[in-house]
Amino acid sequence: MSGICRPRLAEERKQWRKDHPFGFYAKPSKSADGSMNLMEWEVGIPGKANTAWEKGLYKLIMNFPEDYPSKPPKCKFSPPLFHPNVYPSGTVCLSILDEEKSWKPAITIKQILLGIQDLLDDPNVNDPAQSDAYTMFKNDKAAYEKRIRQQARENTPK
Amino acid sequence: MASDYEFSDSDGDYDDDEDMIDGTQDETGESEDDMDMDAFGDDFKVVPKGKRKSFEIEYESLSQSDVEKLMKKDVEDIVGILGVDESTANLLLRHMSWNTERLIEKYMDNPTKVLVAAGVTVEEPPSSPAPIRSHSIPNSATIGTSQSGRRPTRSSSKLLGSKSPSALKSSSTVSPTSTTRLSPRATDLPTPFVCPICFDDAPTLRPLSLTCSHPFCSGCWTAYISSKITDEAEHAIRCMAEGCALVATDTFIHDLLTASDVDPEEAKVNEETWARFQELLIRHFVASNPNLKYCPYPACTNTVSCPAAASKASLTSVVPIVSCGARGIPGAAQASGSGGNLGLPGKEHKFCFGCPIESDHRPVVCAAARLWLKKCRDDSETANWIKSNTKECSMCMSTIEKNGGCNHMTCKKCKHEFCWVCMGPWSEHGTAWYSCNRYDEKAGVEARDAQSRSRASLERYLHYYNRWANHEQSAKLSLDLYAKTEKKMEDMQITSELTWIEVQFMKKAVEEVDKCRMTLKWTYAMAYYLAKGNEKDLFEDNQRDLEKAVEDLSELLESPIEAENIPMLRQKVTDKTVYVQKRNEIVLEDTAAGFLEGRWKWNVAIDGFDDPEKTEF
Repeated sequence: MSGICRPRLAEERKQWRKDHPFGFYAKPSKSADGSMNLMEWEVGIPGKANTAWEKGLYKLIMNFPEDYPSKPPKCKFSPPLFHPNVYPSGTVCLSILDEEKSWKPAITIKQILLGIQDLLDDPNVNDPAQSDAYTMFKNDKAAYEKRIRQQARENTPK
Repeated sequence: MASDYEFSDSDGDYDDDEDMIDGTQDETGESEDDMDMDAFGDDFKVVPKGKRKSFEIEYESLSQSDVEKLMKKDVEDIVGILGVDESTANLLLRHMSWNTERLIEKYMDNPTKVLVAAGVTVEEPPSSPAPIRSHSIPNSATIGTSQSGRRPTRSSSKLLGSKSPSALKSSSTVSPTSTTRLSPRATDLPTPFVCPICFDDAPTLRPLSLTCSHPFCSGCWTAYISSKITDEAEHAIRCMAEGCALVATDTFIHDLLTASDVDPEEAKVNEETWARFQELLIRHFVASNPNLKYCPYPACTNTVSCPAAASKASLTSVVPIVSCGARGIPGAAQASGSGGNLGLPGKEHKFCFGCPIESDHRPVVCAAARLWLKKCRDDSETANWIKSNTKECSMCMSTIEKNGGCNHMTCKKCKHEFCWVCMGPWSEHGTAWYSCNRYDEKAGVEARDAQSRSRASLERYLHYYNRWANHEQSAKLSLDLYAKTEKKMEDMQITSELTWIEVQFMKKAVEEVDKCRMTLKWTYAMAYYLAKGNEKDLFEDNQRDLEKAVEDLSELLESPIEAENIPMLRQKVTDKTVYVQKRNEIVLEDTAAGFLEGRWKWNVAIDGFDDPEKTEF
């Protein structure tokens, strides 16, 4: 799908500006000279209300490959997040972001971000990506919850 | 383009075949040709049926189209039994890895479940397994060209009956399009179509969908399918919509990849992608069928069918060496073919059906061959250290490198003649008591304590390994030998009256030597594992006879050519070639018979055989 990557991202940008879920933000990153880089987006995902994640706004970098949307973007929390399905590098492990699993070219950026928001409070224990968060989630739910609340406070925008 | 293009085309061929009984077609012609050609000797690679030797296995080489015929037969069976259309049968069979019986069983049990799992129909309540909501895109469900609508087969109504309720449910605003026939260039749409992938809304856009009615433009479809086929080697390509598990039919993919509204360059790429897709399907079919194996040589697309070696148990009694019939490597042949059409570039695609060893490892069975190769890899460091590429002359200690196939060495410095393998004087080898192939077993008896025992075992291994490696090295040098021989053949044509056809005996002799060195090589692996006894003695006698014959012939080939000697040389070489061929067959036949009779006893535990009784080396 060479050639449609940038038009598609431009359209995604347009759609996002027209309408996006509350509390989220998503914008192409700026290069040093101030020009817009469509291939890399800076996004923020809010924790859902009434969960340990609430009040936090978690920053994430989306990197789009040249063959997007045939291939999914790479989503990386920056800084890396304490979560069972987030690799120590910050990369998110989610089936819809895996081209050999459920990634489909029709999935929009909005759907990806909502999917990641759902994942925050609903980790997939069958697919652990970091041992710290995974072991704590499995063995000590209370400590895990406490740690998540702590993380939410650290990520609350001023 | 008709949707059943592919099938109706081959149908036509089939009918033609029956009409023309005298057969201008390849297959019918070929078998008759074989019979006629028998008279011309073994130069023709096709082994005629009925003349199979006991150490050869019955097999059949299949071209890509032959395998397609087998696939088609399975598909037709399923069409007949389950009453589904051809593309459905194809998807079902691929989903079940071409296990017809299991498919029929499962289908009879719960057809809907199988159809959904195979991606033929969508699930009853459209489920959303991914943790994301689907946000409907405007106009996404207004059109859709249905594939099944374009394929009116006798069973399609049945299939549609089971499918339409779900199709209706999954797309709320859609009118039942599965029966309306839309031309690919439908432009009279109520609202302009916007492709949800590339967001293009040009009126010339061609929206296409599977029976799930998720429309995308043909450009996005082609790009997606191409990337799945070429990057991921995936043959089950699912709909691009989120969470939709429907699999694209062959017709759908074919129509897209043969669309005429693209520039010639892209059309060529698409054509290649389609060919790759066909190959993926065939590879999947071949991999699913234990009777078939894909030729492992690069860029070769042939398949070999060998039911006699399909089960693991059969591998203890036969060595299933097969050949797909092709020779050389397409593309690479010209690059490395400096030696003309005589050399190795035209090598036959021989491989073992039973294991991943890509060469003829007769006479030893797969399990023992694997064990030997593993041992060689494990011990190779030691062996390499001991056996370097050079040896020292036993008389004057000059360092000597071997650069030809023959084991009869003459030291350049002191003119000492010796055997490269045993380093003993050559004079002993010329006589009838050639004994260089046999390990002196007495050495083992003398081993008293553990240390000398382990040394004996290493020595014993090295004895076999050196002989094995020596033959392997010689075989590697055969490329040079081929080139040298070709040069000699040219010289001969110049210095004598002989024609090109008449000097072919040299080429035949070289090929025979090459073949026999391969056999000899593996006889050492076999002898290493054979338990001591009369059987092993007989085996080694045969081995010795073959080795002596091969060395004699090899030496003849290395001898200089003088004009007056040519007729005699020719006579000698031809005689020796026939003799070597005989000896090789005797070794192979006797070993093969031994496996069938269960005559061979091993000194180690080998897969599929009884454990050995306690034996000493």
